[in-house]
Amino acid sequence: MRILYIDTSSNYLYSAISQNGQIITEIKKELGHRLSEEALQEIVLMFEKAKLRPHQINKIIVVNGPGSFTGIRIGVTIAKVYAWSLNTKITTITSLEAMMLSSNKNTYHVPVIDARRGYVFAAIYDNKYQEILKPQHIKITELEKHLSKINKYEIITNNQIETWPEKETYIPNMKKIIEYFKDKESISPHALNPEYLKLTEAEENKLV
Amino acid sequence: MGKENEMYILGIESSCDETSVSIVKNGTEEIATVIASQIDIHKVFGGVVPEIASRHHIKNITIVLEECLHKANMTMEEIDAIAITYGPGLIGSLLIGLEAAKTLAFIHNKPLIPVHHIAGHIYANSLVKELKFPLLAVVVSGGHTELIEMSNHYKFKKLGGTLDDAIGECYDKVARVIGLEYPGGPKIDKLATIGKKTYKLPVPLRDDSYNFSFSGLKSAVINLVHNEEQRGNKINKENLATSFQVVAIESITTKVKKAIIEKKIKNVIVAGGVAASQGLKEAMQQLANELNVELSIPPIKYCTDNATMIAAAGYYAYLDGRIADSTLNAKSQDKLI
Repeated sequence: MRILYIDTSSNYLYSAISQNGQIITEIKKELGHRLSEEALQEIVLMFEKAKLRPHQINKIIVVNGPGSFTGIRIGVTIAKVYAWSLNTKITTITSLEAMMLSSNKNTYHVPVIDARRGYVFAAIYDNKYQEILKPQHIKITELEKHLSKINKYEIITNNQIETWPEKETYIPNMKKIIEYFKDKESISPHALNPEYLKLTEAEENKLV
Repeated sequence: MGKENEMYILGIESSCDETSVSIVKNGTEEIATVIASQIDIHKVFGGVVPEIASRHHIKNITIVLEECLHKANMTMEEIDAIAITYGPGLIGSLLIGLEAAKTLAFIHNKPLIPVHHIAGHIYANSLVKELKFPLLAVVVSGGHTELIEMSNHYKFKKLGGTLDDAIGECYDKVARVIGLEYPGGPKIDKLATIGKKTYKLPVPLRDDSYNFSFSGLKSAVINLVHNEEQRGNKINKENLATSFQVVAIESITTKVKKAIIEKKIKNVIVAGGVAASQGLKEAMQQLANELNVELSIPPIKYCTDNATMIAAAGYYAYLDGRIADSTLNAKSQDKLI
């Protein structure tokens, strides 16, 4: 069983291929604005290094958001076209779930992604990784109200978050993420879309 | 290649608000094309909203790919190369087609051919008849107004272009001012066939260059409408459409005439969305007859954004040795060279 993992929801490209539960090759690289040029190239090189061809992958796990809109679309487009073209099984997880799994502490896990203007994308999970507050676009002050009701928790952020002072920088444990989600139900590539958790500004203005 | 001298290119276009995939044989024969248009989605916003466009491209991309292969009754294995619009256009929109094309090229081990959107519009004509050189391409659309000279296949030289707004943009703006729904350009063209030239508008940029300018004309129309409204006069939409169109088209034909004579042009082609304008077609035909040059204007289906033209251009780009690797990036602005 070979699984390909792709996450381009932040400034970083996180990608790996696992074989029977072991990571055989992986990328953790800050690409920033070069994500569109280099993400696929890095993945191509990863396949070459592992001496694998795309059809030898049995399943893809792709992070479909929330996070940078453009960033998410790069990884999701690659994964979606890949899975459609080769009929590869595919499933999605959120960036917040990936962040949650990087923590081993016996507390509540609170992954937080900066969404600017006093907002964040966030969720709350308990120490058994069960969802307490579902992933959402939320005002920091609102999130703080939720946090005041739980006692021990850990904030996990995915990059230089400016809206949150005490930060625990996130480095994904891709082996753990893949193992945890390897049996998650597959979906049709046509139905695979980013999870933005936020309307576009044009749509928001239309609603006002 | 499948058979000798047969090259099937799969083209992908997503530079604005149309997700399109097409398969073209040898740059001239359309096998199948699918276009998912977002016009109705953007209508309520009065124009294309880039973030919304990107969201729809990613939603549609594999469905459009599948439909196109199905329509052509082909598989990816039978495709010889992938052609992709890398720019210019809306960056978020371009990226969806680009990542899709790069992924397909990687997975199926096919050459990846980068195609400039304007080259696509020009090569829409090669789906209709053979291009003859030296050629003058008159590129008129919502994003472009350019005169391009071609000495041979894929040898482009820009003679001039708009210094401000594109002609199609100006059409849409004028339409908006007189209360026509987006996209209003085609509606202006239609109204112009019934109106008379009664309003006086300035002819833009009467100079010796091959450049255009439409912002002055646009402002003149807006001011005229506002002044008339303030005076309590009703605008005659048909007459305003005609008055505007006559001036806009005249500014194009004047520069085209100059280019045909000075550059000894044999074949004039009109490309881009505004090529669908009846008014422009008639004016260009008259000019072509007068100067005895061959004129070609593609049918409407090839005038608006589509992947057929990208796959067609891709063939000639391939023959010109233009192959990209998986580091190909989208460019919102890029010169055609």
